[in-house]
Amino acid sequence: MGSAVIVFRLVLADIRRHRAQAAMLLLAVTVATAAYALGLSLQGVSQALYQQTREATAGPDVVALAPDPGPAVAPTLTSLARAPEVVAHNGPYRIVYATLVAGDATSKVVVHGAANKPGAVDRPLVTSGRWVRSGGAVLERGFAAALGVRVGDRVTIEGRAYPVVGIAVTAATSIYPWAAQIGPGGGPSDPTGLAWLTRSDARALAAGNDLPVTTAMDLKLRDPDATQAFVDAHHHPTVRVTFHTWQFKAEQDAVMLRDSQPILVVGSWLLGFLAVTGVAALAAGRAGEQSRRAGLLKAVGAGPGLIAAVLLTEYLALALLAEALGLVLARLAEPAIASPTASRIGDVAGPAGATVVATTALAVAVAGLSTLRPTLRALRTATVTALGGAARRPRHHPLLTALSGLLPAPLLLGLRLTARRPGRAVLQACSTATTLIAVVALLAVHAQPAREYGLGSSALPNLRDVHDRRLLLAVTVLLIALAAVNTLALTWTTATEARVNMAVARTLGATPGQVCAGLSTAQLLPALLGAVAGVPLGVFVYWLFSAGETTAPPMSWMISAALAVLLATAALTALPARLAARRPVAPTLSAEAA
Amino acid sequence: MNALIGVRGLVKEHGEGRSRVRAVDAVDLEVPEGQTLAVMGPSGCGKSTLLHLLGGLERPTDGEVWLAGRRVDTLSERALARLRRRSVGFVFQAFHLMEELSAAENVELPALLAGRSRREARRRASLLLERVGLTGRARHLPSQLSGGQRQRVAIARALANDPLVVLADEPTGNLDTAATHDVLRIFEELRSAGQTLVIVTHDERVAATADRLVSMRDGMFVDDTRLAGTGTGWLGGLIGLDG
Repeated sequence: MGSAVIVFRLVLADIRRHRAQAAMLLLAVTVATAAYALGLSLQGVSQALYQQTREATAGPDVVALAPDPGPAVAPTLTSLARAPEVVAHNGPYRIVYATLVAGDATSKVVVHGAANKPGAVDRPLVTSGRWVRSGGAVLERGFAAALGVRVGDRVTIEGRAYPVVGIAVTAATSIYPWAAQIGPGGGPSDPTGLAWLTRSDARALAAGNDLPVTTAMDLKLRDPDATQAFVDAHHHPTVRVTFHTWQFKAEQDAVMLRDSQPILVVGSWLLGFLAVTGVAALAAGRAGEQSRRAGLLKAVGAGPGLIAAVLLTEYLALALLAEALGLVLARLAEPAIASPTASRIGDVAGPAGATVVATTALAVAVAGLSTLRPTLRALRTATVTALGGAARRPRHHPLLTALSGLLPAPLLLGLRLTARRPGRAVLQACSTATTLIAVVALLAVHAQPAREYGLGSSALPNLRDVHDRRLLLAVTVLLIALAAVNTLALTWTTATEARVNMAVARTLGATPGQVCAGLSTAQLLPALLGAVAGVPLGVFVYWLFSAGETTAPPMSWMISAALAVLLATAALTALPARLAARRPVAPTLSAEAA
Repeated sequence: MNALIGVRGLVKEHGEGRSRVRAVDAVDLEVPEGQTLAVMGPSGCGKSTLLHLLGGLERPTDGEVWLAGRRVDTLSERALARLRRRSVGFVFQAFHLMEELSAAENVELPALLAGRSRREARRRASLLLERVGLTGRARHLPSQLSGGQRQRVAIARALANDPLVVLADEPTGNLDTAATHDVLRIFEELRSAGQTLVIVTHDERVAATADRLVSMRDGMFVDDTRLAGTGTGWLGGLIGLDG
């Protein structure tokens, strides 16, 4: 108990003394765990939303679709309704393939001929307005949202205007833009929305415009899970019937989020990696101070366990707090990310137990990987040496030192600072490479040809692409933000560690400008290597997670991105470097001598 | 001013409000070229601050500092850096060598910062290390050298650009007797060669090697004594630095 109190007090005092560092750790781990939790939570979320919509709308277990015209179609579908496995049905009804215009947008639409009063199967849930009536149209909610149409607006289907009397959701089709299920004549379908007209209006629409029609029937089975057995048992020898099971629709729904999960999970790994580099930079910068703390604790009789607890608990506690914040953020953001189409209703469950375990592992890994080494070093250091607070002695690099002798003063100082702490340079290079991986992936996504849903000059955005691009942009922005914080931290740590050397350089005639440029150069040299590695790695990562043929972004874009990252690094290092270079020389040297 | 170093009405205050302390209090000083000046006094009397003011490491609150006919206290940071690069060499009690550089690399650094070629810097470093008796230690890191050897490297570094003046702050403060003798011999050689030296020290043995001794107390000069002016001075003779 006594030890716990000591650890608590020491940790609290240290956090108070290093608030900026604590804030940085919190920020880094929060965004990493939030992205990770979101990515993991998306697993199965589409299916869950489909199930909730299915329950709320009495969704069919199987939809039978007969694309060919002919007198045998209706009897064939009616015979399916009489099958012993079927307990209820809706239809047969017409699905008319048409074109809909709403304002400036033109889209393909399937028009379902609906009963004025829905039956036991497929009872679309009207979320706004009312159900169909003669001369009026009801639009599927995801489709209406994409068109920007509300109840009371007018839409034109094949040249005839219909007032929108209602907006509804259904589980009988997949989400917008996959409402068609099958295309005209049973072929593949384009991105299509769903509208309901009355049966007579749908019939008139098809007949008046000579439009292709599929006849459909919704079926409710005695055993909803036995859909495949039903499909296998009811292949008709002469009439072509395509069956869409509820499982198929649930899987089709999940396609919308197929790329979201890798974006978030891979993004969270990169964020976690940046968190490790940033926190490791902080921990390394405080190595001398931690060593002194360990020495003091040893001197008053503390054992290795207590010392390790004091040194590790701070980072661990902050990481776990950040993880909790990350989970809350993930919970708040999940509804918007899990359902981009508005075609489904229901609540998302939030991070599950397995997700919490995984994010905890990530948070502990960030804290552990970044602090274990300095902690072990502090524990191993002899008490008297530790009391001196001496950080690890920098290494001698004769070749780099000789090489730097050929360079102008700022590059000479920069290269020697880089050589002084090569581990720090590796962290900076990794941080830059990670940022460029995300930026190049974002550029690659934008380089792909646009596949919009609209027809002709109409521009209905591709929801999946838009969703993926937004997610990738958000992850990239977070990565850039963390990398920026890392660059600031690394520069400041380098400047703090090298403050005596830089003060000595000033006494030897280095100007503040040269010292400032040297500190910036010390970050820019590894950043340059990181940029060179990051561009091909970004292309590779994009290729790894993209299906089919991809278009590589133009080389000029990637070079510009790398240059922009380097310029940003230079700008970010300028402030801490300038502050450090302006530090008065005499007090620094006097303090070191004391 | 004709002296190499000139100081008029020099004041340096530290702190703010009630905690304001006057470290250097209206000091006037002239140091002719080639003179070795020792500044003695108790801890906190302002000796080191005076040295920092002379070298442009700190700016005075009031007064003037002149070096080689040029007013120093009004120079920009960049101009001060150039001045230190060309005209001033520093030697510190704590040596302040760069731990990751060998002895030769430490000595080369000022020449490289002054824009000299690497070959020239290296040649100069070899000469200076030979001069301080460390030819065989050129490739050693500071951690592989004794305290006295480190201070000799620091002195060699201070001389890298042929400065007009060497400012030494407690140069023997961290050294044992044998190492102190080594350092004093080097100072004596410098003095003999006409190098202007300002040495802040607690150590009477060091002060004894000077041409002139200024005593400080509470930021002011309380005594200004010209020593024998021959060889190691009369005190230097007493402690056996003659011959």
